[in-house]
Amino acid sequence: MASELYLIGLNYRTAGVDIRERFALTNHCSKETWMLPCEGGIKESLILSTCNRVEVLAVGEGDVPATVLSRWAQARGRKADELARYVYSYTGLEAVRHLFSVASSLDSMVLGEPQILGQLKKAYRAAVTSKATGTVLNSLLHKAFSVAKRVRTETAVASSAVSISYAAVELAKRIFGDMHEHRAMLVGAGEMAELAATHLLQAGIRQLLVANRTLERGQELARQFNGLAVPFDQLIPTLSDVDIIITSTGSLEPILHARDVKDMLKKRRQSPMFFIDIAVPRDIDPDVNGLDNVYLYDIDDLKEVVEENLAARRSEAVKAEAIVAEEVELFAVWMKSLDAQPTIVDLIHRGEHMAQEELARTLRRLGPVDDATREALETLVDALVRKMNHDPIMFLKRGTMSQEGCMPRINLLRRIFRLDEPAGKDHAAHAAARE
Amino acid sequence: MNSFELLAGFILPLYGLASFSGIAGIVARKRPLRQGGALLAVCGFAAQTVSLLGGSHALLPQGLSWGAYLQLMAWFLVLCGLLGWWRMKTPTPAIFAAPLALIFFCMALPYQQQAIVLPPQLSAPFYALHIGSLFLCLGLMALAFGAGILFVLLEKRLKRKSLVKGFLQDMPALSVLDRINAAAVATGFPLYTLGIVSGYLWAKPVFGTTVSGDPKEILSVIIWGLYAVLFHNRLICGWKGRKPALFIIAIFALSVFSVLFINVFLTTHHSIIRQ
Repeated sequence: MASELYLIGLNYRTAGVDIRERFALTNHCSKETWMLPCEGGIKESLILSTCNRVEVLAVGEGDVPATVLSRWAQARGRKADELARYVYSYTGLEAVRHLFSVASSLDSMVLGEPQILGQLKKAYRAAVTSKATGTVLNSLLHKAFSVAKRVRTETAVASSAVSISYAAVELAKRIFGDMHEHRAMLVGAGEMAELAATHLLQAGIRQLLVANRTLERGQELARQFNGLAVPFDQLIPTLSDVDIIITSTGSLEPILHARDVKDMLKKRRQSPMFFIDIAVPRDIDPDVNGLDNVYLYDIDDLKEVVEENLAARRSEAVKAEAIVAEEVELFAVWMKSLDAQPTIVDLIHRGEHMAQEELARTLRRLGPVDDATREALETLVDALVRKMNHDPIMFLKRGTMSQEGCMPRINLLRRIFRLDEPAGKDHAAHAAARE
Repeated sequence: MNSFELLAGFILPLYGLASFSGIAGIVARKRPLRQGGALLAVCGFAAQTVSLLGGSHALLPQGLSWGAYLQLMAWFLVLCGLLGWWRMKTPTPAIFAAPLALIFFCMALPYQQQAIVLPPQLSAPFYALHIGSLFLCLGLMALAFGAGILFVLLEKRLKRKSLVKGFLQDMPALSVLDRINAAAVATGFPLYTLGIVSGYLWAKPVFGTTVSGDPKEILSVIIWGLYAVLFHNRLICGWKGRKPALFIIAIFALSVFSVLFINVFLTTHHSIIRQ
């Protein structure tokens, strides 16, 4: 019975976070867990366990999904029936398609997010270290990585920001380009504002200033971001030295008006300013956006940017799906060629065996010969075997490309060359023929 | 076929390929194609420089041809594009310069043998100064014009909070585009002034009068006035962003009109073909 490829798993669509936690296979299990699915009929395996999915890839014979489920549930101290309710299972090319989609981040909660590829690579490294992979999974995973790369290069599925804080930083880059020459200020505190500040620092901003109504909190944040705390009453005089301002205060009235910003612009000789107003109610008078060289985005504007970016990603995902489909087809050809592999090996062994037998017989007849003659004869029979095997092997390989697959050709060749008959019977037939 | 024509046979395809690769790279959003376009523009520029150093512009027995004049303008355009690439660390100026150079080069082809018949006094150093400085200025204007168009498009999207999509995603940031404008104005205006002044000084001995009311002269003074307003406001009042971008777009449009319409269709001191 031939080995088959299976993918068994659960993800954020089929299971809530509590279930995903319950059946996670990283950090909770011993290293030996990686080896578990390789027992029994399972020849190769890989476990991908992230916060949004737990998936097991397995190659083997028999009831592989049942074996994987029982081992998986056992590893987490649960019953297989409980797990089975949340699990999906793909076989053969469907498994390949799913893996390629996962690697390309087409199956992610946030379409196009980049982390999944790194997580898959990590899972593959762990499986390789545990010697749990073989020919099929090694080829499949390398192919999955190249498909993911192709999707990222040829489509814009991962090109735009899909979080509010990151979208703000992307907009800042569109205005200022190189961030190393610019300074930013965080006015007030809040998770989203702090996240935007973190992204700005990662983008290489020169300096981050922090102004907070409570100076101690401001100093604490400044320390966290390796920045400089500014007293809140010094906010407006300081702002003229800053290019990017992120506001997130709890003020009920705007803290910055268009007239303040107009004065700042004069002092700055009209250098552009970017205001990111994450506060609700808003901290900055919306009229500020009407001033030349000033760009103001509030939380709704940023949400809209994120929505548009997500929509753009979704439309790019259609192109990405086509790439995945194309690559699945190519991988299918390779998988079909695996079926022919044992027959090719048998054919080669048969040829080599017969050649060695005939060579030994000929050498016995010739009597003592020098080394050069022996080598010439060995080369002759090797070349003959290679040439005679070439056409049948090509016949088999062409079968992998054909619609009906290579099984009819495998059966035909095995019958013609009597590859399934015992070696002794084959020899007897040869001997009879020689008589 | 002389050596100039042979070299032109290389320059034209190089500018053509540079334009094709650059535009394809912008439309398809493929960085290697854009980089390839910029590099091909460098190759075309190098070939044209060799051709010019070999005296290709003065091969005709009568001297400079209208075709060579236009080709010289193409050379200055690419030169400015390459300077922009070097200064702003982005190949975008070179990518945009290549199609403009190609247009000038193609326009030059039918006029290759059409000599500009200049009176002997027109070979004065003032003439060279007049033409050289104005050509270089036009190249810088073209660079700022491209940056200005991009600035207006990108700024409009950012102000209206619309999605930045298509080729604009790969274009330089607003600040970079504004810096291109600033550099082109800071160097272009003095060159333009030099070109105009040298022209007037040279006109006195040649035409007998400094100001003759020539349409080209009138338009040049208007362009100089607009350029002066832009130069002054950038330098003194700190103009940045949209206003300077719109100004340079208008200035370049008037300059192109001046070169391609007045020089060709009107009878003036500058109507080169009809002389």
